[in-house]
Amino acid sequence: MPSQPPLWRRAFDAVEKPLGDALAQGARSGAFADVVAVGVRVERLARREVERRTRRVLHLANLPTATDVRRLTQQVTELQRQVRALSREVEKR
Amino acid sequence: MTPSLAPEEVLRRVEGDVRRAVRRGRNGLRYAAGTDRPKVGRTPKDVVWKRDKAELWRYRSDAVAYTPPVVIVHSLVSRSYVLDLAPDNSAVGALLAAGLDVMLVDWGVADAVEADNTLETYSDGYLPEAIEAACDAAGSDEVTILGYCFGGLLSLLTVARHPELPVRNLAVMATPVDFTGLSAMTGFLRDGRLDPDDVLDETGNVPPEAVENAFRLLRPTGDMASYATLWQNLWNDKYVEGYQAMAQWTRDHVPFPGAAFRQTVEQLVRDNALVYGELRLAGGTVDLGAIACPFLNVMAERDHIVPIDAARPLSGLVGSPDREELCLPAGHVGLVASRTAAKVTLPRIADWIQRHSQTPAAAPRRPHRGGPGTPALPPQPEED
Repeated sequence: MPSQPPLWRRAFDAVEKPLGDALAQGARSGAFADVVAVGVRVERLARREVERRTRRVLHLANLPTATDVRRLTQQVTELQRQVRALSREVEKR
Repeated sequence: MTPSLAPEEVLRRVEGDVRRAVRRGRNGLRYAAGTDRPKVGRTPKDVVWKRDKAELWRYRSDAVAYTPPVVIVHSLVSRSYVLDLAPDNSAVGALLAAGLDVMLVDWGVADAVEADNTLETYSDGYLPEAIEAACDAAGSDEVTILGYCFGGLLSLLTVARHPELPVRNLAVMATPVDFTGLSAMTGFLRDGRLDPDDVLDETGNVPPEAVENAFRLLRPTGDMASYATLWQNLWNDKYVEGYQAMAQWTRDHVPFPGAAFRQTVEQLVRDNALVYGELRLAGGTVDLGAIACPFLNVMAERDHIVPIDAARPLSGLVGSPDREELCLPAGHVGLVASRTAAKVTLPRIADWIQRHSQTPAAAPRRPHRGGPGTPALPPQPEED
């Protein structure tokens, strides 16, 4: 016969299950979705604003900014894609 | 009245409790220090095909009793080692033990280069190539495809769009087709509160943290409950080892390629296009009714990620005259990695595959590049 869980576990389950259900229900609500959507957009805007304000200072010190790094990454990415496409062309021949 | 205990019995119980307390302390310290990272993906394998970051692995076996080979197609958002967590908890190991020739398509970790990968990149590019490579490696004319979660979706698209591919059987596990059934996870995106591009990071992909948070929202107290279970079983070395492997996997998601994510949201989540037969890929419409091979739809009763409502309609959408449904007592991950998986779910899936396969002697063979244990590419290091 399987042994009963310890008392602390039974107490934990008694709280966790209804709490978990209530939180999951809340996470499905329109209000929560609104909060998350606003949060995501605000974070994005804040990041852009910080980048914009720090760009001038970093460039004054001749340091690369996140935008510079992103631009370089995009160029490397494009190169990698071209290499892949060329490799496929070569394979076909 | 409480029955009295003999002194020997009291001593025995105290000794047992002390032993457990010592083990609990030792395992707790190890867990907290993070020194005992479990080794995962240990079943020996060879890479038999590679294209960009996608690889096809063939697991070594001396006991293959059925043909065609089984090609497992894994999801795009998680690591494939969940199918091979530990020697005693391995879906791959269970299928090998059932005499099947097992291969697995692993997508690797997407970065900025993969951000442009669309659903067509997988269904018209990688998967048809991988299927051909699997046939070559096994010297077989056909394959059985076993898709898991989003990998099941990619498998469906591939087989539906390419009826000419040598796919003898198609089985999918925990695969969503009716995306209204996934409301808990996709609500933000369905009703337009968030656009797909709001979720993408600077690489153009959905970052792993976003995927992890979406899963966490389904069970906000899930982490607390699993820590409580860990505390309860901290004295048990075996449990702690399994827990660590699973915990490592649940925190080890991979980026979801941005272009495929946009298509998924715009067509599957918002328009539920697969159910209405309106999914447009590469200028054509995907008709799941074009799938004519024997088909198995495996669903998990307690799946909170892909609930049964999201998976069940699939059986009515495919055109296969020979189609079967299995609704198994497991959760989404428990289907492939749990004690239930080893005892109940995987044996039933393996049984269906065996019934739809044949012994190698009875099967026509074609010239091949390598037999079991013969790698077509350099050996793959173990994943850790």
